[in-house]
Amino acid sequence: MLIGSAAIIAFVLILLAWAWRRPEGKGADERVWTLGLGVGFVMAVLVALVGYGFWVGERILPRSDGAVRVAAEARQWGWAFRQPGPDGQPLETQEVLYVPAGVPIDIEITSTDVIHSFWVPRLGGKMDAVPGRVNVARLMAHTPGEYEGLCAEFCGLGHSFMRFSVIVYEPGAFPDLSNRQTGGADE
Amino acid sequence: MNDQTQSVNPPQRALTLHRELTAVWSDLPGWRGVLASVNHGTIGLRFMATACVFFAIGGVLSMLIRAQLATPRGAFLDTAVYNQIFTMHGSIMMFLFAIPMLEGLALWLLPKILGARDMAFPRLSALGYWCYLFGGTIILLSLLGGVAPDGGWFMYTPLSDKTHTPGINADVWLLGITFVEISAVAAAVEITVTILRCRSADMPLTRMPLMGWYMLGTSVMMLVGFPPLILGSILLELERAFDWPFFDVTRGGDPLLWQHLFWLFGHPEVYIIFLPAAGALSTIIPVLSRTTILGYGTIVAAVLGLVFLSFGLWVHHMFTVGIPHMALAFFSAASALVAVPTAVQVFAWIGTIWKGRPELKLPMLYVLGFFLTFVMGGLTGVMLAIVPFNWQAHDTAFVTAHLHYVLIGGFVFPMLAALTYWMPLICGRARVPRVGEAAFWLILIGFHGTFFIMHLTGLLGMPRRIDVYPDNPEWIIPNLVSSIFSMVMAMGFALFAFDIVMQVIFGAHSRRNPWRAPTLDWAMSLPAPAYNFASLPGPGLDHADAAVALARGTGWLPGAPRGWRETLVVNAGSGRPEHVAVLPDNTMLPIATAAVIGSFFMLMLAGLYWLTPLALVAIVLTLWRWGAVMGADTDHAPILVAKGQSLPVHWQVRGTLAYGGAVATLVADSSLYACLLFGVGFLSVVAPAWPAPESGLSGLWSAMLIGVALVALTLGALFARRAEARRGSAIAQTQTRLGVVSGVIALVALVSIALLLDDPTRHARDALRGVLLGFAVVHMGIATLLAARSHADARDGRISAQRRGAVPVWRLWQDFALATTAISGLLVAAQEVL
Amino acid sequence: MRWAMGMLAGPTLWAVLFVVVYALHGIGCAWGWPSVSFGPTSLHIAAMMGAWVAGLVLHLVLLWQMPKGHDREGRLQRAGAWIGLVASGVTLLPIVVTSSCG
Repeated sequence: MLIGSAAIIAFVLILLAWAWRRPEGKGADERVWTLGLGVGFVMAVLVALVGYGFWVGERILPRSDGAVRVAAEARQWGWAFRQPGPDGQPLETQEVLYVPAGVPIDIEITSTDVIHSFWVPRLGGKMDAVPGRVNVARLMAHTPGEYEGLCAEFCGLGHSFMRFSVIVYEPGAFPDLSNRQTGGADE
Repeated sequence: MNDQTQSVNPPQRALTLHRELTAVWSDLPGWRGVLASVNHGTIGLRFMATACVFFAIGGVLSMLIRAQLATPRGAFLDTAVYNQIFTMHGSIMMFLFAIPMLEGLALWLLPKILGARDMAFPRLSALGYWCYLFGGTIILLSLLGGVAPDGGWFMYTPLSDKTHTPGINADVWLLGITFVEISAVAAAVEITVTILRCRSADMPLTRMPLMGWYMLGTSVMMLVGFPPLILGSILLELERAFDWPFFDVTRGGDPLLWQHLFWLFGHPEVYIIFLPAAGALSTIIPVLSRTTILGYGTIVAAVLGLVFLSFGLWVHHMFTVGIPHMALAFFSAASALVAVPTAVQVFAWIGTIWKGRPELKLPMLYVLGFFLTFVMGGLTGVMLAIVPFNWQAHDTAFVTAHLHYVLIGGFVFPMLAALTYWMPLICGRARVPRVGEAAFWLILIGFHGTFFIMHLTGLLGMPRRIDVYPDNPEWIIPNLVSSIFSMVMAMGFALFAFDIVMQVIFGAHSRRNPWRAPTLDWAMSLPAPAYNFASLPGPGLDHADAAVALARGTGWLPGAPRGWRETLVVNAGSGRPEHVAVLPDNTMLPIATAAVIGSFFMLMLAGLYWLTPLALVAIVLTLWRWGAVMGADTDHAPILVAKGQSLPVHWQVRGTLAYGGAVATLVADSSLYACLLFGVGFLSVVAPAWPAPESGLSGLWSAMLIGVALVALTLGALFARRAEARRGSAIAQTQTRLGVVSGVIALVALVSIALLLDDPTRHARDALRGVLLGFAVVHMGIATLLAARSHADARDGRISAQRRGAVPVWRLWQDFALATTAISGLLVAAQEVL
Repeated sequence: MRWAMGMLAGPTLWAVLFVVVYALHGIGCAWGWPSVSFGPTSLHIAAMMGAWVAGLVLHLVLLWQMPKGHDREGRLQRAGAWIGLVASGVTLLPIVVTSSCG
């Protein structure tokens, strides 16, 4: 996409420079400029791009294929998560989400007050947390590690600090929780 | 009548004509002139100057934002103030700079370039200006008072509701912006009618300057696109003030309704801003390339495509709210498709440069700056139209960069080109050399230095609207770079302003038509006189070269021999002259009306709801005065406008400008009503917490009352028709009296329904019924006032075989009130039955 | 001004069609139409397809009806008809390529 746009920008600028420096010649053909370049060229680029977008969009939609389900509840200003714990039982945590690597994760996102948005930049797209509805986003992390997440929709005074982390572990090797703040501890 | 002669009237002494016209058309001297002016030249320049002041204020706010973000732990502003500042930066630039700027350009330029003496509704121009100034001032004062809006310029609920924003910050936004939008809708009505009816003699729509097409597209988009936001603001203010739950999920509302209404306005808004700028480009590029525009018809078609398609994109601002993929895909495809008409124009402009001999004058520099900037902004826009990419980049600095590329590239650069291009016509002076070029380079370098790197910042994951980022060292360098270059850009704008001031004070007198342009805006002496043309242009006199001939009165309708402000009104399609409109003189009425409307908004803001009926009465009284000075109680002989061509004055024809204005107003009103119906449909299908609780409205009483109202409305429509048909006889007065009576009966019936309504705070359905009823009452009230106005006209002898007074407009409103009330009644009945 | 009506007809038809299909989509998702089968497909897809195809046919009729003249009015009317047809074709294409309520 980046290379494509750079090429288009260069093309337009070269055309402009050429139009400027061109020695006196014959006039321009209206159909070449408006229909050829304006409609034909642009349509071709767009159809390819939008088609690709549909295809990728379809592929990353959540679907019922037994993905791990976790819940994320946003509030002013923090995140509460519920995920499968080390023993398979649901585990509630604040500001930290634990998910296994290499499997698709469906995150059910909701909010208790205003609109927030769940976003882990290195793992994929964002999804808004809207009061009154549950939105599902699908993520998949290939490499274990700690990933940073944040609230991407402006939500008031604490917006800048509404961060969380996602800890991705090897399936079956749930990290040690003893030195982490979990659901039991209030802030 | 379309012959080859160069003159349709005998020549006179130009100076005598100039004195005669100046006496009639100029503003009053001194302070009264400031308050009472209705002249489009004065008002247009005021709009533009005020918009530039707001641009400077918005710019200072952006400097504060950049100062805060220059370091990761900026302690320059606290979070609460920072939130107010970025909200105000966005709101000021959108509502108090961009929109008024384009309105100002339209008001100032259109009569000149189309060959008329003034806009169709001079008093409305003035009213629009005062509403803008008062509304803008309220918003600014809130910033000084530390209670400015702080929910972001798109004011998402529930963050902006009473629970989460208890102060008056959000009310300032909702009321202040709505006040300013009254001025925008007024301008849109006026621009539409002016372009369709106030062109030079025999200029067909298909031959008017492209600027006319662009502005027509803009104004129609404003008529349809602003009402969604006005409705949204009314609903949100009702929720904040009276707890009517339109956006509360627990009581049948949905915060997404606000987002739909906002973006239904917000995306067309981008094109509303872009189209006038593109019009300026289509005017300037051929002149400075010494050729004609390439592909006139194709550009008109592109404008047509943009006007429609831009209403099919609004959901692309909502790709992450959890809407199904197919719905996203519709809007994704539409968003990509809208790039086609935009690209057609860009290539037509480059083709125009190609076939001409471009000259690197200062406006052309800004045109080149536009090409570089806007093409990049357009491409990032296409990227954002792709759903998966949007999920990643949405609400990050990438979007901030994109929208500044589009708005500064697509609006500010062309506007700077337009200002430098038309300055000689505004002030009559040539500019001081070289300062302008320096300003251009500072702005261009500063702009790209600030915003190019912001794409990267966004892709690095920096969201919008945060004030500190202590844990993200990777964002430090790009933010610092942006902040440093933003100072360069600010210096550029300061230098631009300095250059303009220099030109006004020290510039040498400019010769007439300095750019050797063909259009009529240059067919006058510099600076432009208050009356524009001593005689009006037409066939054979439709080029800037006709300036001298027009000044000597050889065109249509020369001078002001009757002491009236006269201009030609033409057929919308063919441009054939149809009648002579006598336009209003200087008056204080607009500022008085704006002041009472302002007092209504101030009372709402202060929460003094029980006092607001007083303000409403005052509004009605001033509006009554507007009608009282229209029309005439005697017939006037047809006016000789050209050799062998006499035309009636406006009070003796049916298709007046005022009638056209009423039609345009109803277009905007229909858009508002359609959005209200959309709200009902959307909430009942999509919102949780439906179906609504049992309703108390199903009884016989409510059915009877609505029946009475509809019968009275129908009778009123009949009376209006008969009053017009029998206008020559005494029966007319009986009909208008009956019209008033039936209107009052309908009003009483409608108001009585309010007693049966369920508590609107209980559920969104009940609240929406309250709004539907309120809509019906307001429209019935206006229709009754128009009936009363018609009755006063009949009583005072303003209605005769030739004169119709306010009756046609009354009839139009009566029909509209009848139709909407019937639809609302059916809708509620359907809700009850289903 | 008949030509102006002609010019606006195509884009207006697109606007109506776009709104109708979007409304059908929203209503269908809310009322569970995707799980109601209708011939080879679901009621949801069938309803939207039906509206879309009917709209496209109307667009073609409109294009057929346009004057053939080479004056500016005639060309603008044909351009309007084409804009409407292309817009309806492209923006509603997702009916057949994306999943409906996921």
